[in-house]
Amino acid sequence: MSNADKFKQMSKGLDLAQAIFEADRCLLCHDAPCSEGCPADTRPADFIRKLRLKNITGAIRTIKENNILGGACGVLCPTARLCEEKCSAVFKSENRPEGADRPIQIGKIQRFLIEHAWQTGFKVFDEKPALRPEKVAVVGSGPAGLSCAAELAKDGFSVTVFEARPEPGGVLRYGVVSYRFDMNFFEHELNDIKELGVEFQCNSPIEGKEGAEKLLKDGFSAVFLAPGLWAAASLKPDAAGIDGLFSSVDYLAALRDGRFEEVEAKIKGKTVAVIGGGSVAMDCIMSAAKLEPKDVYLVYRRSYLQMPAESDELIEAQEEGVHFLLLNQPVDYVTDKSQRLKGLKLARTRLGAPDASGRRKPELIEGSQWILDSDVVIEAIGNQAPEDSTDWYPHVAVTDKKLIKADPNTGKTSVDGIFAGGDIVRGPALVVTAVADGKVAARAIREYLGN
Amino acid sequence: MANNIDLSIDFCGVKFKNPFLLSSSPVSNSAEMVARSFDAGWSGVVFKTLNSDRLPIIHPSPRMHCLHLGSQKEMAVQNVEQISDRPLKDNLMEMLYLKKHYPDHPIIASIMGFFLDEWVYLAKIAEDNGADMLELNFSCPHMCIEGAGHKVGQAFQLLEGFTEAVKKAVYIPVIAKMTPNITDMNEPAMYAKMGGADAISAINTVRGISEIGLDDWVPRPNVFGKGAISGTSGPAVRPIGLNFIASMAQNMALGVPLSGIGGIETWVDALEYILVGASTIQVTTGILHYGYRIVEDMIEGLSDYMAGRGISRVSQLVGKALPNLYETDHFELDRQGITQYDLDRCIGCGQCYIVCRDGAGQAIEWDAQNRRPKLIEEKCLSCMICSFVCPVPGLISFKEMPSDWKRRETEVMDTSLEKQIKIEPFTKEGPNACNV
Ligand SMILES: Cc1cc2nc3c(=O)[nH]c(=O)nc-3n(C[C@H](O)[C@H](O)[C@H](O)COP(=O)(O)OP(=O)(O)OC[C@H]3O[C@@H](n4cnc5c(N)ncnc54)[C@H](O)[C@@H]3O)c2cc1C
Ligand SMILES: Cc1cc2nc3c(=O)[nH]c(=O)nc-3n(C[C@H](O)[C@H](O)[C@H](O)COP(=O)(O)O)c2cc1C
Ligand code: SF4
Ligand code: SF4
Ligand code: SF4
Repeated sequence: MSNADKFKQMSKGLDLAQAIFEADRCLLCHDAPCSEGCPADTRPADFIRKLRLKNITGAIRTIKENNILGGACGVLCPTARLCEEKCSAVFKSENRPEGADRPIQIGKIQRFLIEHAWQTGFKVFDEKPALRPEKVAVVGSGPAGLSCAAELAKDGFSVTVFEARPEPGGVLRYGVVSYRFDMNFFEHELNDIKELGVEFQCNSPIEGKEGAEKLLKDGFSAVFLAPGLWAAASLKPDAAGIDGLFSSVDYLAALRDGRFEEVEAKIKGKTVAVIGGGSVAMDCIMSAAKLEPKDVYLVYRRSYLQMPAESDELIEAQEEGVHFLLLNQPVDYVTDKSQRLKGLKLARTRLGAPDASGRRKPELIEGSQWILDSDVVIEAIGNQAPEDSTDWYPHVAVTDKKLIKADPNTGKTSVDGIFAGGDIVRGPALVVTAVADGKVAARAIREYLGN
Repeated sequence: MANNIDLSIDFCGVKFKNPFLLSSSPVSNSAEMVARSFDAGWSGVVFKTLNSDRLPIIHPSPRMHCLHLGSQKEMAVQNVEQISDRPLKDNLMEMLYLKKHYPDHPIIASIMGFFLDEWVYLAKIAEDNGADMLELNFSCPHMCIEGAGHKVGQAFQLLEGFTEAVKKAVYIPVIAKMTPNITDMNEPAMYAKMGGADAISAINTVRGISEIGLDDWVPRPNVFGKGAISGTSGPAVRPIGLNFIASMAQNMALGVPLSGIGGIETWVDALEYILVGASTIQVTTGILHYGYRIVEDMIEGLSDYMAGRGISRVSQLVGKALPNLYETDHFELDRQGITQYDLDRCIGCGQCYIVCRDGAGQAIEWDAQNRRPKLIEEKCLSCMICSFVCPVPGLISFKEMPSDWKRRETEVMDTSLEKQIKIEPFTKEGPNACNV
């Protein structure tokens, strides 16, 4: 199998027997901490109980009614710090802090149930709602936009999603690597949303002066902004022309939009370094490691415990053979005459006092600079709002980081009729929190338009 | 494993090296199979019920189905299998083979006839071909002919007559295998004894329906569009088997050895049958589920149990629970207790709270802050259902309360309704036992 083929499919989920086995371990808690731990209120305690009591269709309904991206969340949620974090099945109590068992694999059960619905053709939303006259515009078709659009369509609003890119999905399509989340799976989930009557207009960026505000004048009664964060932070903004240097955004999108072979050729047999310690860096380095490089280095300026990536991702990376180059801060790129990347100049760091984020701050060690020979470097040091993003919503209040200020309980922005959610409000967050934001805003929009 | 433990047992004068036998069923269908089971450790076999070749025996297809409980497989097996479909000659050759190669493993021939001469014919021929004992199958629940299978087990005079005729025809001991599809097994067992039976085995399968297809509405197994009420076996029927063995063991007038069957998979299950009076036990469904190898764990488990208790011979265990088995009217009702919670080990799942609230005395308050149950002692009914659901073993246990302790009565929702009730107290005198 070619690497391209290997990347196209994610690994199989649970089957019915495995899901039942897992549900059988669930304690069916009275005040289930799993349900409290789900940001999108997907109600795991309810859907697991339903599966246990052979009410499989009801279990599917619970998920989909509460989380239209239940399948994607089942695959992508970092469950260890969400629903599974306080699961009673670990048998921990204050007096037995060690615990004796594993949490119920809630994400896996959730994924199974949704795949089961697709396999059996069970439709949750088979009744058309009474149509409402108002039109709502959603800008961005990432999880936040999709969730908001689906909720509103369920209420009978006519919803148009404007998407800048050729296909809907946001990070789900152009970010997350495809062996973790494949397009066959996503198309099913997207189809559930299309069947609700949501209309998609792709290749349709909202741009230009006051683009968002104009939508309100063009017959849309409300607008939901969910453009995500698509500008990559860079170590040296002027380094963009270097051959062999990628931003995480560009590199990950390249793996998914027809440039796979091009990227593969650059990495195969070469030395690759990824800069960063978060989940995006993990996607970059793990995918590079699968493309038969000579060596892959993860360069991070703090130490292991400060890395924001999920612990299972970190363990997986170690098992894949990634070299962890901790306490090293990139300072410059080394290139040859033709601007081809040759190496990464690093300086050693030590950890000082905690900074605002509570993590110990790295301090450069004087005179410790060295060069890591490398052919490819991928910068994964954070996604942010593009420089010009505020042009098309100039009256919407933003923070100094250009994140939109929105009321967490309603998604309301400073402009009447404009709501926002997802990463553009929270900063880099999660699929499930984007889904939650979409739901919250949809509820507020419904109220805004008069229940 | 302790080696001074003697698992051997005498059953109607025949010696078995342990109490564990294959029961008559597919697990005892051929010499090749039975030989392997002996190698694995089974002490004897009740060979699959012989037929006289008079009528063709054709098994329905498919012939079994099973009942899972969640992810627990094979709580029960449902079968519509008939008696042996092999020619009598073949079965006899198989028995001769086993006799020759496994002389110290007793062979019990199970037989079933449709009328007197046929019973006698099968009994004699089995004896002539090496059977150490006979088991008369009065109990197959889905042999559909009047005068055969469990229909005989329910027609006591017939059963007595057949037993008597067989006993007259052979010298070897005769076991009567009983159907559980009856209220009191002591009645037919007494008839069997009057007919001369040397022992009773029970139970055969329980008539039941374990699953119905929701797409086609056909009870399982679905035999080309038709289902039937048929024989249920396996762990789900064990309580029924224990009931019948215990009540026959308590019957002094019966006084014959008992072979316990029904849902046995482990040494614990086997021992429970022994404790209520069985001196051998037989297994089918346990083997259908796990194979012959389970006998290794039965032998080892029972031996270690006996060693731990200082009991050297398994016969010393037979009927040991019977002195503790009473009718419920013997209970001391002035002694009462409640549950106690070892909350240090509680993981806060709240299942105790849910079931106590909806199925018992509302004796638990839920401390949502700390995710802990709080028992209101005077309301605890001591039904113990909370301990059944608690995932932490032994966290919830029973304790006796002092004799002056009183349980709070269940409160009436609205006492103001007292004026509206229509009631005349019941004053008639009558007997204190139920006379029918
Ligand atoms: C590589 C990577 C891996 C991740 N892995 C996980 C994970 O495993 N689990 C998890 O929970 N989260 C993960 N996340 C985070 C998660 O994907 C995001 O939090 C989530 O996608 C945010 O959703 P969103 O709808 O706010 O924005 P996005 O998904 O970013 O979608 C925004 C959409 O808006 C479009 N858009 C932008 N501007 C305009 C415009 N002007 N006009 C029209 N359309 C516009 C964009 O093209 C895009 O399609 C990951 C993120 C990345 C980058
Ligand atoms: C498929 C099947 C076929 C059986 N055939 C016979 C039989 O031919 N003769 C008989 O006496 N009992 C027969 N039985 C009953 C078993 O011997 C045994 O009494 C019953 O299954 C209960 O024991 P168990 O729970 O260990 O299976 C059969 C049981 C099964 C499951
Ligand atoms: S916390 Fe765990 S055990 Fe309790 S209901 Fe949720 S999944 Fe089940
Ligand atoms: S959506 Fe995510 S966090 Fe919520 S229950 Fe499902 S897997 Fe857990
Ligand atoms: S069932 Fe057991 S573990 Fe669960 S709350 Fe009750 S006492 Fe605690």
